[in-house]
Amino acid sequence: MTNLKPKARFLYIPALLILGACCCDNVVVPPPPPPPPPPPPPPAPVVQPLGDVFFDFDRSELTAPTQSQLKTNAAWLAAYADKKVVLEGHCDERGTNEYNIALGERRAQSAKEFLVSIGVDPVRLHTVSYGEERPFASGHDEAAWSQNRRVHFVEDK
Amino acid sequence: MTFRKIMVSALSVMICFQMLMPILLRAEETVDVIDIRKQVSGRISIVLDNSTAKGSRESDWAKNLDGTIKSGLDFTGLFNLMPAPINIRNGQDGTINFGAISSVGSDVYVTGAVSKKRGDPNLDILVYDTTGKQLLNRTYTGQEKQLREIGLRVCADLVELLTGKKSVFGTKIVFVSNRSGFKEVYMCDFDGQNIEQLTSSRSISLTPAVSPDGKYLAWMDYTSGRPDLYIKNLSTKTIASVRKPGVCIDPGWVPGTDELATTLSIDGDQELYLIRADGTVARRLTKSRGIDVSPSFSPDGAKMAFVSTREGRPQIFIQDMNSGLAHRLTFSGTYNTQPAWAPSGNKILYSSLQKNGEINIFMISADGSGLLQLTSGKRDNEYPSWSPDGSMIVFSSTRQGKRKLFVMNADGSNQRPLLQMDGEQQQPSWSIIK
Repeated sequence: MTNLKPKARFLYIPALLILGACCCDNVVVPPPPPPPPPPPPPPAPVVQPLGDVFFDFDRSELTAPTQSQLKTNAAWLAAYADKKVVLEGHCDERGTNEYNIALGERRAQSAKEFLVSIGVDPVRLHTVSYGEERPFASGHDEAAWSQNRRVHFVEDK
Repeated sequence: MTFRKIMVSALSVMICFQMLMPILLRAEETVDVIDIRKQVSGRISIVLDNSTAKGSRESDWAKNLDGTIKSGLDFTGLFNLMPAPINIRNGQDGTINFGAISSVGSDVYVTGAVSKKRGDPNLDILVYDTTGKQLLNRTYTGQEKQLREIGLRVCADLVELLTGKKSVFGTKIVFVSNRSGFKEVYMCDFDGQNIEQLTSSRSISLTPAVSPDGKYLAWMDYTSGRPDLYIKNLSTKTIASVRKPGVCIDPGWVPGTDELATTLSIDGDQELYLIRADGTVARRLTKSRGIDVSPSFSPDGAKMAFVSTREGRPQIFIQDMNSGLAHRLTFSGTYNTQPAWAPSGNKILYSSLQKNGEINIFMISADGSGLLQLTSGKRDNEYPSWSPDGSMIVFSSTRQGKRKLFVMNADGSNQRPLLQMDGEQQQPSWSIIK
């Protein structure tokens, strides 16, 4: 600083003054109120999508995982109270086609009865059986068969 | 019934079933299952001589007729057909050398002569036994385009003459094929010829069944989005439909009536109902928790064989139509379906899903005796249906890969493919269609 020439010193003083004025402004003028924090978004409904349920061979009784998935589906139906769903009963290719249409219907009926028992309006649930006519997996082993023994949930549009 | 009650009763049924299992398994092991027997020795041996003809047109007709008669007789599986031995005619006078016929082991000699009468084919058929006794001398006529029909009339007469029974000639088989990409109903002649498509619903058509008198065709169809039943009057072509809440599965006609039984689930449970040909419900036939499906009636219509899960797994039951009382018929195996009551007699065919994963066809008497296994070792063999005369059985099989139609004689012998057709074929039903 001592090395500054007089001209530079001349510039330095007003700069200090200006800086000082700025500090004074800060003290005098109240700061604008901080913008209010945005209101928290309404909590998004955590609804799992509809899922299919699966069955043992030649059975229409509901297993524990099946009941658990049906409760999830009931929550979906509660969240979307204006929606209807179709419960499609399906079977694996073993056994005979005609019998499997009856079995597929019993699977769809079992799933529907469970949903109704936990409060779903039966008017919103429509059942149809395809027996073994519309398989999901095309293989000829238990891996495919277990995929095909199901009640498939479809939104009724 | 509440869900909880359903679950509790389902559980108790399962427990009962578990307790019964050891007994059922023992019964299965001790049951007397007779293997397929080849009954070649039971066939009638026929020397089928070439028909004589003068003129090239007549010779063409003769070749055509001889071919139809040979393949027709061969199809029945009732005969050993052999060509005429060289010394069939006596050298000097050209008369028949009956000694030559018996020397080749034949029982019968059949010969024909083709001529032209007013421009149309005329066939004279002569049949002799080995003693030279004439058994038949009959003339068959028709137009040139009817050569196949003429040949099949000869076959029908030969079967009746030599076995004393009616034949399959002139009968039809309705069945399901996915050839077009959709399962549709088709029809063919008894021998797989003249395939004709009957439905074009482009959805899923299943379980065609013609009434025993040939008046109606019933089948189920997903055209409306779910399985409904349709009943077509084959002469007036009018169609009645049965649309009820739930399913409508697998019709079976009651002989001598215009009624069929089918499965409906109007009240939730799958039960059998009697339906009139106009599609109206006559009455409910079964009332039991579980599936009741696939009715097939005795020739007099007094009894109904059907599939029921009322005791757990699917088994064949017989119900008396008057009293409504039912009893279980099958005790061997844990998955027995598709009963087919013989159009004459008291034999019932059914298919059984076995522990090794195969489905095989069995025959049992209506009193539960005489269990006989007709197919074995060849993957899935299903949906047996009797020929109207009771001499043959048509069924579907995956023994060559894709599901195709096969025929066999009523004793299980002579199993062979019925027809060549693209796609898969299934659910055959053999009938008389006028």
